[in-house]
Amino acid sequence: MSDTVFGMLKRLLMETDLEKVKAILQKMEGFELIKVPGLDDRIARLNLDLNSAGFDRWGMHPETLRKFAPILYLLYKKYFRVETSGIEKLPPGRALFVGNHGGQVPLDAMMAGLSLFLEGEPPRVARAMVERWVPTVPFVSSLFTRIGAMVGDPVNCRELLMHDQSVLVFPEGVRGSGKLFKDRYQLQRFGTGFMRLALETKTPIVPVAIIGTEETYPSVFNFEALAKLIGAPYFPVTPFFPLLGPLGLLPLPAKVTVRFGDPISFEGDANEPEELIRDKVQMVKDALQAEINTGLEKRGENVFSGAAK
Amino acid sequence: MKILITGASGAIARLVASAISPKTELVGVDPRPAPSTSHFPGEFVVADYHSRKLDEVFKHHRFDAVLHLGRIRESQRYSPQYRFQMNVIGTQKLLELCRSNAVKNLIVLSTYHVYGAHKHNPLLLTEDSPLRASQSFPELADAVELDHAATTFMWKQREVRTTILRPVNIIGKHVRNTICSLLRSGICPKIVGFDPLLQFMDEKDVARALILALENEIPGVFNVAGEGVIAYSHAIRHAQAMAIPIPPIVSAGFVRLLDDVSKLGFPPYLMDYFKYPTIVCDDTFRKAFGYQPKVKTVQSLRNLGPLTERKLVPDTSFDESV
Repeated sequence: MSDTVFGMLKRLLMETDLEKVKAILQKMEGFELIKVPGLDDRIARLNLDLNSAGFDRWGMHPETLRKFAPILYLLYKKYFRVETSGIEKLPPGRALFVGNHGGQVPLDAMMAGLSLFLEGEPPRVARAMVERWVPTVPFVSSLFTRIGAMVGDPVNCRELLMHDQSVLVFPEGVRGSGKLFKDRYQLQRFGTGFMRLALETKTPIVPVAIIGTEETYPSVFNFEALAKLIGAPYFPVTPFFPLLGPLGLLPLPAKVTVRFGDPISFEGDANEPEELIRDKVQMVKDALQAEINTGLEKRGENVFSGAAK
Repeated sequence: MKILITGASGAIARLVASAISPKTELVGVDPRPAPSTSHFPGEFVVADYHSRKLDEVFKHHRFDAVLHLGRIRESQRYSPQYRFQMNVIGTQKLLELCRSNAVKNLIVLSTYHVYGAHKHNPLLLTEDSPLRASQSFPELADAVELDHAATTFMWKQREVRTTILRPVNIIGKHVRNTICSLLRSGICPKIVGFDPLLQFMDEKDVARALILALENEIPGVFNVAGEGVIAYSHAIRHAQAMAIPIPPIVSAGFVRLLDDVSKLGFPPYLMDYFKYPTIVCDDTFRKAFGYQPKVKTVQSLRNLGPLTERKLVPDTSFDESV
């Protein structure tokens, strides 16, 4: 059976026609393995304001999410065996989720977002703020928009928070996602824009420690010249990629834990001088690093198994 | 009340004219002849906007309001030079006439294209966003210049209350513009891997927005949109057209070739608009004018059909049309 699943996965990756993708996914749903429990109910409870074409104001398209849900669920439950903690103490309404970034590919955003969708009560869409170069990447750009992500422009973030949406940001940006394996789980310099937006919109901040995704692509070297050539912010070289070719693209199946910290509400003026903002940012950073350290401790030595709570 | 409508033989002008209160006296002007089958409810003058003839029209009638809808939109049929002459020089002339003849209210129909498609665009563009179009697309320079001339006029000549509307892609049975021709052609080039969000607005909603602008006389620049966003591929599907995949690397040159050979109706400069989203936020207009789009995007895409050439009948169900 796994043969067929992987055969289908291969076909799925090669397929560009959306109708055919749909057909393959429907077939895949036939396997118990990737039946997403309560999917319809969760999508219905997302409370999105959709137009006649099925899109929301920012281009989120729940039907696309439904189509890709089996694959995402497979990744979430079977491949990375995600466990969460602290998801029950999330504040109602909007929140600004601040995560640690690492692992070259936004698997961290995907896993944190999926945990909020699959296990959050009520389920929510975490609108992930992505790098500015993402819109130039074929396929990824449109898929991300359909499932709720958008370019991490302050204008976008403010707009979303004003409309009571939950936003997921990685204040480290490419400094975090592109960092090498040896620097894993060490928070890089934080941008401060998110704090100003949280103050302006009076949004509680929730630190999210994502453990495991930083081991999925152990980058030992950043091939900067090549990155520049293809217009990417960095180009990771891992022990498997590009040495093993496409096979090296497979992420290592590390066990992933998503830990939600206590919500922090800040008071103050969004136009405060940078030093004051930086102090507040440092508080978030410390809270996040503490959450990461707890997570790492609980996980122990084994990256591929490890306890969650 | 006496109103001048430019672009009077166009679909939008005719829709507005048929929906406007019968007590209003209308004068239509257009460089193109009046459509033979549908009667313009008022005097119709054939004139270029930069010609002397327009002076006389203004002198003869004392207009209370001017609706400037006469922007040439079809890049396929007219050269950039001609479009610049008509759209920019013509508009400047018209603005000057509005000033010297003490017109009280001026409404200019610009376009959302002025913002330009850019990978760094925020998802929702407000009226304050920079107009990037002429930077990357010289073909759109005339549209940006027109918008700019109108905005400058609005700030300088306060005695003429000027409302500038920047509508999204206008579609409708009677409309002949680039996007409509493209969707009607049945074959829509689509860049592989890119499926940007687009916004459409039905011709009836455009007419409704224009009438609201005419009635409320609130000066300013406003984005106007329809019901919301839709992915290009979905729009193609709803319009019963077929998508032709175009590899992103060869796209620009290939599309130019395709365009030259087949006259597909897909101007190469529009490529970026089919790659990156250019989405406008029309909250300000909705709030200020109480505007609500009434036609569903999917509905108007489905109803697009072949061009209903000059068969526009006064629509009695104007307000209930969904």
